[in-house]
Amino acid sequence: MASRRLEERRIAFQRYKDDVKREGKPFYPYAMFHDTVMSLVVVGVIVGLAFVWHYTDLLGPSLADKADPGTTSFVPRPDWYFYFLFYLLRIFKWPNSVILGTVGIPTILLMVLIAMPFIDLRAERRLLRRPIAIVAAVLVALSMGVLTYKGATAKEPLGAELRAAVPGWVKQEKLPSNAVPGANLFATSGCLNCHTYLGSGGSQLGAPNLSAEGAKNKGITFQISHLKCPSCVNKGSPMPSFADFGEANLRKLAIFLEASKGPK
Amino acid sequence: MAARQKSARRQQLESTLLYPLDWLEERSGLVGATKYFLFRNVPGDVNWMQTLGSATLTAFLVQALTGVILAMYYQPDPNSAYESVQHITNDVTLGWLVRGMHRWGASIFIILMFFHMARVFLFGAYKYPRELNWIVGALLLPTALLEGFSGYLLPYDQTAYWATVVGININGTAPFLGPFLASFLRGGAEIGPDTLARFYSLHMLLLPGAILGLIGLHLYLVVRLGVSSPPWSGDAAGRERDEPPQVPGSGLVNPAPRGVTKRPD
Repeated sequence: MASRRLEERRIAFQRYKDDVKREGKPFYPYAMFHDTVMSLVVVGVIVGLAFVWHYTDLLGPSLADKADPGTTSFVPRPDWYFYFLFYLLRIFKWPNSVILGTVGIPTILLMVLIAMPFIDLRAERRLLRRPIAIVAAVLVALSMGVLTYKGATAKEPLGAELRAAVPGWVKQEKLPSNAVPGANLFATSGCLNCHTYLGSGGSQLGAPNLSAEGAKNKGITFQISHLKCPSCVNKGSPMPSFADFGEANLRKLAIFLEASKGPK
Repeated sequence: MAARQKSARRQQLESTLLYPLDWLEERSGLVGATKYFLFRNVPGDVNWMQTLGSATLTAFLVQALTGVILAMYYQPDPNSAYESVQHITNDVTLGWLVRGMHRWGASIFIILMFFHMARVFLFGAYKYPRELNWIVGALLLPTALLEGFSGYLLPYDQTAYWATVVGININGTAPFLGPFLASFLRGGAEIGPDTLARFYSLHMLLLPGAILGLIGLHLYLVVRLGVSSPPWSGDAAGRERDEPPQVPGSGLVNPAPRGVTKRPD
């Protein structure tokens, strides 16, 4: 037997159908006119954006350089609608809570979204009488907007600027001279797009601070094999493989990392 | 002015002209279905916010059309993908326009989808009996985001490549399925020819197919269940009343019932 609530809803929906039949207007031409106007606007905006992209620099370059797996500098930047995720990963730090940013929060949000009709069971549709739903929606929209904005305006440090910081690192960390080539490589190879080192760098995707990486004494061999295949050594690591750098460069990086025992 | 009684000659002409439609209707019912779709009633107070759904559909159709054209010139191979995109942009007639529309149409599609979702949420239009349609829409959102993700690699420039490397690695951090998903997307241990072919196939076969199927279901449910009136409307369809409903066709704001709204002869 149907509950009273279900019975009420069925009656209400029947009333809706009767009202639409009696007081409504046909989809064609009334609603369809609005739809058509709106669709033309949409196509116009898309064509307009394509023109602006082609004839001006406002929307960024048409293509970056050709993909190069052995590159020495890259900016891992997704399309704008992933910026909120991208920035979320700056907030959660590897390895303890990064899973929250990469998988946890998006999955929870999606599950709440799908389950919405079963969470909000009341028949009430008027905005002012749904304070919880409205506040929750505004908070989610605001935080996604702020994260998108922060992601869009996040600055990746330039290789040239970072290279200028290397003498400072040598001084603070008391790096031996054989670690300097590795330090220069580290500064210009995009490592700091994600990692941080003595205050420089992006703190992206939950990548750890490497200022005192050498203090863990993991050894040159470990560092090299980690750079070649991070996720083989460190299960679940999102860091890309840098095997294409070549053995000599990886050794330089490893020496630098092992020499970094933290600021003294 | 129109003759009240059609002449025999005119009747014969009409039935000859309409014969293909009658033929189709008798064998498929599609003419009746189209008529139902076009002339079904919607609440009298639907507003401009309720065009966001069809606007999203339009953006998807733009993506489908421009995507088909791009696929005629694009080569899903790491050695020639970048050059083929350059070729589309620089050499193919209006290729820059088609590529630009596809690139920016994707963003518009996603934005409109979010706006449409916000509208449905604000209107409380996901409530009984439209729960299932909300779920279909909520599934369309991640599918569309995946479509965007898989398309981002295809130009095979630096931005595309490294964003995808990190994106796949992030998939890899998910518990249980993560590592399998990551190695499935890569098509091996490294990003290479298999990855690009895989993303191409996902981007133009699997995901658009899924989106099309979900949109079909979404529209079927919209037509079957009808659209909601704005919740603040005084004339909202289905509103609760104290007095008994008015008699049809009794006033200016109360138009004649549905049978009369057919196209006039």
